[in-house]
Amino acid sequence: MRRSAGLRHFLLSWLEPLSGVVALAVGWQIASMVAANPTLVPPLQTIWGALVDLAHGDLVNDIVASLFHLAGGFGTGAILGLLLALLCARFELVAAVIDPIAEFLRPISAIAWIPIAILLFGVGQGVPMFLIFYASLFPIFVNALDGIRRVDPTLVRAAEMLGASRRLVVTHIVLPAALPAVFAGARLSLGVGWVAMVAGELVGADTGLGYRIEYFQEFFSMEGVMATIVVIGIIGYLLDALLRLLQSSLLRWSPAHGGSR
Amino acid sequence: MDAAMSKPIIRLDAVSKTFQAPRGGGMVEALREISLDVRPGEFLSIIGPSGCGKSTLLSLVAGFLSPSAGEILFEGKPITGPAPERGVMFQDYALFPWRTVIGNIEFGPFARGVGRRARRDKAGELAELVGLKGFEDRYPHELSGGMRQRCALARLLANEPKVWLMDEPLAAVDLQTRIILQDELLRLWGDGVESADRPTVVFVTHGIDEAVLLADRVVVLARRPGRIKAVIDIDLPRPRAPLRSVPEVARIVDQLWSVIRDEAAMAIAEEGN
Ligand SMILES: Nc1ncnc2c1ncn2[C@@H]1O[C@H](COP(=O)(O)OP(=O)(O)OP(=O)(O)O)[C@@H](O)[C@H]1O
Ligand SMILES: [Mg+2]
Repeated sequence: MRRSAGLRHFLLSWLEPLSGVVALAVGWQIASMVAANPTLVPPLQTIWGALVDLAHGDLVNDIVASLFHLAGGFGTGAILGLLLALLCARFELVAAVIDPIAEFLRPISAIAWIPIAILLFGVGQGVPMFLIFYASLFPIFVNALDGIRRVDPTLVRAAEMLGASRRLVVTHIVLPAALPAVFAGARLSLGVGWVAMVAGELVGADTGLGYRIEYFQEFFSMEGVMATIVVIGIIGYLLDALLRLLQSSLLRWSPAHGGSR
Repeated sequence: MDAAMSKPIIRLDAVSKTFQAPRGGGMVEALREISLDVRPGEFLSIIGPSGCGKSTLLSLVAGFLSPSAGEILFEGKPITGPAPERGVMFQDYALFPWRTVIGNIEFGPFARGVGRRARRDKAGELAELVGLKGFEDRYPHELSGGMRQRCALARLLANEPKVWLMDEPLAAVDLQTRIILQDELLRLWGDGVESADRPTVVFVTHGIDEAVLLADRVVVLARRPGRIKAVIDIDLPRPRAPLRSVPEVARIVDQLWSVIRDEAAMAIAEEGN
């Protein structure tokens, strides 16, 4: 009984999201049949063909280049965001200086910086990396700062009473206590970083998946553009899934995340 | 009484504590001119109505807060901050949720630089001592209230503090668990084994019967502002656990109740309006 219920639950958990994808595909296919200009809405089999071509061509290089941009931009953004949050939580003065700057810069889309980034770094790795850095800095900063400020003061007292030094309190109490918030911020950062990456590569780089879209556009290959977009979507999803996995294994202690055994 | 016994381990000398009320409110006078000597090795209970400053008093002795006036001495020296020699058991457990039972118990020795092997062994022994054998790798959210309380006790014991500061440690567990934990607490403290290096306990509680059963002396606080209303010696023999159902205990509880009844009635009246 339980087993079949579990199986049904498992199937449902996959069928539900899958049904959305299927509906989207069917809609696209119908649109491609009724469209006046079929090159603008290429049918699925054409996109599939382009995907296969892509896989045989530069796809791996494009993915590696994009992931490299992401690692550089997201890595520096996340680390700097976390450090700034720690500093702001510790020193009132730093918070007083950083807060207004962050509040001013935060609503400005990373994309608005493209012209300046191109001027600064020239077309190449620098532009997408900078845009990813810029986009991912704020979500992790804001969330981490909030998490650090919400750390239960009784836990800090407990650690001090047990003999913990200032440094130990930061590394062994404040950071783990803020980790759920840091992860929430990191997932947001990764999402907006991935978006900024495509924009940056589209106009400011000569490698990566965004660049590949621009390449296909020049040849007016909508099926190539579509195939690349599908790849971007899938990898973005996988990256988030990876982070979620890391989150639930690191937050096994938290009833809200890891859940109990 | 010999000379060592008469020298207090903790001395509060006309201690007052005033808080700035939040959101621009006025000042809250939590404690006014508390003078009290705690003798080494004694079990001292503090009772009093809600809000009379019991937790504040404990926080002052722990070193989390500093007095607005007066002085607190530990072994003759002013208290400047929290230290492992004064262990605290918090009302809401305050276990580290990301650490397992063993991880929580060994945190004190870890913070003080005890080697991995030694602190693990010690934590394992303590887990067994408080009845958490088999639960060493559980996280706090996977434990019952009573088990969390045991874990908090073992964490405190791991540092071998001279003073145990306990803020209503048994308030949140059910009656049976409370009775069992009271007996275990007495056993771990060294009830009936009269020894020179027995730890000193300052035990805040809401329960008059609990205070009488456990303590050598009961301090009754009055509220608004918190002052000492009475200090009552409990002249019952030790070990205490077997006395649970002796009529003498009930008589003392009654007597104590008459001391604090007026206070409690006033507290209720104040809360009503
Ligand atoms: N940090 C603080 N800021 C302002 N007021 C405070 C603060 N801490 C305590 N108080 C006030 O001081 C008084 C004593 O509080 P305390 O927590 O010590 O009482 P208590 O006897 O432990 O109460 P309970 O039995 O409910 O635990 C209360 O009026 C409380 O509102
Ligand atoms: Mg209290």
